[in-house]
Amino acid sequence: MRPGLFAKLNVVGAWLALLFLVLPALIAIPVSLTPKRFLSMPKGEYSLRHFETLFTSPEWLSSFAQSGIIAASTALLATSLGTLCAIGLWRVTSRYTEVVRAFLLLPLIIPQIISAMVFYRLLVPMGLIDSYPGLILAHTVLATPLVLITVSASLANFDPKLEQASRNLGAPSWVTMRRVILPSIKPGVVAGALFAFILSWDEIVVTLFISKFTVYTLPRRMWNGIRENTDPTVAAAAVVLIGVTLLAFVIYALLARRRAQMAVAEE
Amino acid sequence: MAEAAKGGLSLTGLTKRFGGVVAVDDIDLEIQRGEFLTLLGPSGSGKTTLLMMIAGFLDISAGDILLDGASIKTVPAEKRNFGMVFQGYALFPHMTVRQNVGYALDVRGRPKAEIEARVDEMLELVQLQDFGHRKPGQLSGGQQQRVALARALCFAPPVLLLDEPLGALDKKLRIEVQDQLKDIHRRVGTTFIYVTHDQEEALSMSDRIVIMQNGRIEQLGTPTELYERPRTRFAAGFLGKSNFLDLDDGTYALRPEKIDLAPAGRINGAARLSGTISDITYFGAMRKYMVAVEGRQPIEVDVDAWRNPHELQQGQAVDLAWADHAAVRLDES
Repeated sequence: MRPGLFAKLNVVGAWLALLFLVLPALIAIPVSLTPKRFLSMPKGEYSLRHFETLFTSPEWLSSFAQSGIIAASTALLATSLGTLCAIGLWRVTSRYTEVVRAFLLLPLIIPQIISAMVFYRLLVPMGLIDSYPGLILAHTVLATPLVLITVSASLANFDPKLEQASRNLGAPSWVTMRRVILPSIKPGVVAGALFAFILSWDEIVVTLFISKFTVYTLPRRMWNGIRENTDPTVAAAAVVLIGVTLLAFVIYALLARRRAQMAVAEE
Repeated sequence: MAEAAKGGLSLTGLTKRFGGVVAVDDIDLEIQRGEFLTLLGPSGSGKTTLLMMIAGFLDISAGDILLDGASIKTVPAEKRNFGMVFQGYALFPHMTVRQNVGYALDVRGRPKAEIEARVDEMLELVQLQDFGHRKPGQLSGGQQQRVALARALCFAPPVLLLDEPLGALDKKLRIEVQDQLKDIHRRVGTTFIYVTHDQEEALSMSDRIVIMQNGRIEQLGTPTELYERPRTRFAAGFLGKSNFLDLDDGTYALRPEKIDLAPAGRINGAARLSGTISDITYFGAMRKYMVAVEGRQPIEVDVDAWRNPHELQQGQAVDLAWADHAAVRLDES
């Protein structure tokens, strides 16, 4: 059967939407290859000099390391908190469960600029402004709801009889959690950790408000780079940033595919 | 492998309410150690709720559960030491068969060598010696069912609870597994409490059957007692098939295979009812005749197919007869 006109339009529309979403980000790639000293499209000549600057400049390298540390810590904290939250909400079934869940998802819904102001007001008196703990704390608050969502999705497919079976066989609840529940919801936990990492890795709004000199994350250095001069190193950094994010998603997709194949094999 | 030093259960006034709904209503029941007791009833009869209370997964609204004389009402599920075979088996999908079977001993911190030896013993009991390193997903339904059984028996529980364990198997396999279950029950001597809605399973395996309806015990007895002397219309209709005859002194239950059927005027002894055959269905081993009798519900008569000397036809006038003891008078109106 030949696809109808509507189906064709649909496919064309999907590709247009995809290009519309992706192209602006991809502009960074040619720009990062310009031989000039300012942001520009290369004309026939290409150069990796800005990547060289990026990977040799102590400032840029330090920003990479700082972003990495903050994102990894955020992923760890948010994943632990979000997973515990999700399991707690899953186990306690009361009419307030959904209210609590909605409340926990608030950080996702509240405009980031407002979160940023709130964090600023909160962290100043605590002496955590412009510090690793301050940034990690703020990013964790933003990222935990993502973990809550992915882990809850995994739990929705988890057979509660497995938990009963484990208890029936004499396992205390923490053993049941470690040996039965966690292995079963691992896909959701891993996805949550990746999302949390990515969120922190390219977070800028809140970071601008609560960091100053000591902590200088990668997105922040890029922002300053664009504002203060038009150094194409920013474009090179953007390419690396996109690369890392893509890598995280590829890992996630591969894991999901392996899981699907295993599920099919087990049928 | 006689491990039945304990395992007698007493339920006294056991009740479970969900909001305003009474799911289990004031049940008193003595379960002997080593007994194979079946809770039989339609869905919503409270049989699974009762089992879940015994397992410790549901709180008790009123009453008590005693194990060998001691109340276990406040003992959490993980400390009750009751084995359980779940509906759908609930095997841990990420563990091998051996890890599943050995789980209970493992979480009790028993030495590796003891666990391995016991797992070997259990896999032999359910004849799965060669499947220890597979994952549950790589096993057939019947094999998974046996793994679930081995896992639940591995720690030698005094009581084994089985929640419709054969529900997911096809009919032929089910009969095979029934024999295995009976055999395993004999060998381990554990008290089995078996929940099902399948009357054939109940009849073929149980020492005693509890017929449940609306959260109450409708009737309790051995399979023979229940089949031969049902006390209520529900018991007579749920366990086996029954015709119900409203006579002057009450309602009688009459099993279809206990009725004699012959062309009008040719029956042995006195004809009790006369009618015409409205439908004949052939089942291989037997034929089912529906006989329309004026002023009554149609009466079902089951006759062994090989004993059909008269070549009865649809629409033929027939006489029905039965022995005095075949019709059982029911308690209710």
